[in-house]
Amino acid sequence: MASATTPEHLAQLMSRVAAGERAALRQLYEATSAKLFAVCLRILSDREEAEDVLQEVYVTVWRRADRFDGTRASVMTWVSTIARNRSIDRLRARGPMAYAEPVEAAEIADGAVGAEALLVAAGEQERLHRCLSQLDARTETVIRTAFFEGVTYEALARRMGAPLGTVKSWVRRGLAKLKGCLAT
Amino acid sequence: MSEAADLTEAEAFAAEHALGILSSDERRQAEARMAAEPAFAAQVEAWRERLTPMTDSLAEVSPPHALWQRIERSLGANDNRGANDNGAMARGLRFWRGASVGSLTLAAASIAAAVMLANRPPVVIHPPAGGQLLDASLVSQTGAPVPLFVAAYDPIRKALIVTSLVTPGNDPAHVHELWVIPADGKPRPLGIIAAGKTQEMPLPEKLLPALAAGSALAVSVEPPGGSPKVNAPTGPITAVGKLAKI
Repeated sequence: MASATTPEHLAQLMSRVAAGERAALRQLYEATSAKLFAVCLRILSDREEAEDVLQEVYVTVWRRADRFDGTRASVMTWVSTIARNRSIDRLRARGPMAYAEPVEAAEIADGAVGAEALLVAAGEQERLHRCLSQLDARTETVIRTAFFEGVTYEALARRMGAPLGTVKSWVRRGLAKLKGCLAT
Repeated sequence: MSEAADLTEAEAFAAEHALGILSSDERRQAEARMAAEPAFAAQVEAWRERLTPMTDSLAEVSPPHALWQRIERSLGANDNRGANDNGAMARGLRFWRGASVGSLTLAAASIAAAVMLANRPPVVIHPPAGGQLLDASLVSQTGAPVPLFVAAYDPIRKALIVTSLVTPGNDPAHVHELWVIPADGKPRPLGIIAAGKTQEMPLPEKLLPALAAGSALAVSVEPPGGSPKVNAPTGPITAVGKLAKI
């Protein structure tokens, strides 16, 4: 599915979507919806809400396709960002209690590289996973948990029983290291 | 891994926003800052490119078949010029007419700039082939009618040139979203207008018919990123104007 669709093909689809071609939106949906649904589900942990958000995501893509700038972002990043942002906004709207739910340790650790990622061809993805795995285990877990679950510093600090400032410095230092590693 | 240099405060904030770790308030601040500072927006975008490949480790989950139909139906509702939503914008305007413009204020210098802009001869020399040059002055909906935005439609460039006369930085938690309301009364979003700036907003082909003399332009106050609703403003309408032939 998405893995078989090249970035160039997706970029062509986006320009047709921007021109108001509904069939192109359908093709974009077919190429990307399973990945985006996984993103929404992971953040929201609620099928019904994830479906609502996914619907909003493609309506937003349709409405704002003309704002997509292929020179500044890839299609996959652009649509994933819309999916993540909508999901995180929905999660935040549940209120602070939503972050306090205890999560099984296994689930937190579940961001580890899966078999699928190991098969990913050499390139950006592989580099990111390599760089993430070079962080210390705690920092890697915190960054992956924040990315996949859209949780706040406050919630992470509560989960990990660590002061907020400490968690913040782990993340910021981790991100700085990640940037350095990705730049090499 | 060797020790990396610390990120600047701005880049750390950009990275945190891309990561999705910020609270609602901080997310709004980050979005407002993206709208106001292109350099910051570029940093957020660069971090999104860096981090998004993480989603590759998520196993794909096919959404239910019915979902595409739901999406297609909501597109249809946007495109059809049905009668059911007629007057929705007008009702919205009436509802918000009493609302305060809030912290959005005017700079006298900006008004002078707008007057100069309005008096400048049209840039396009050849007679437009695909349509008519139009302009509109969008005036405040409370108190005395003060122009808050000026807009000109160039049918050759297929773009609106919009100038915001609102002082930037007064309300970082909100953005201004521009709408066109053609004869069918249904608002269509045109984009976010940065405070105090002049910008060219390219228009998708499907929206061109809406840009006609007599169509209304309206600006609403929205959360960063624009109205969460697909085809309706959610915040108060601050300014309204009608497109007229130049």
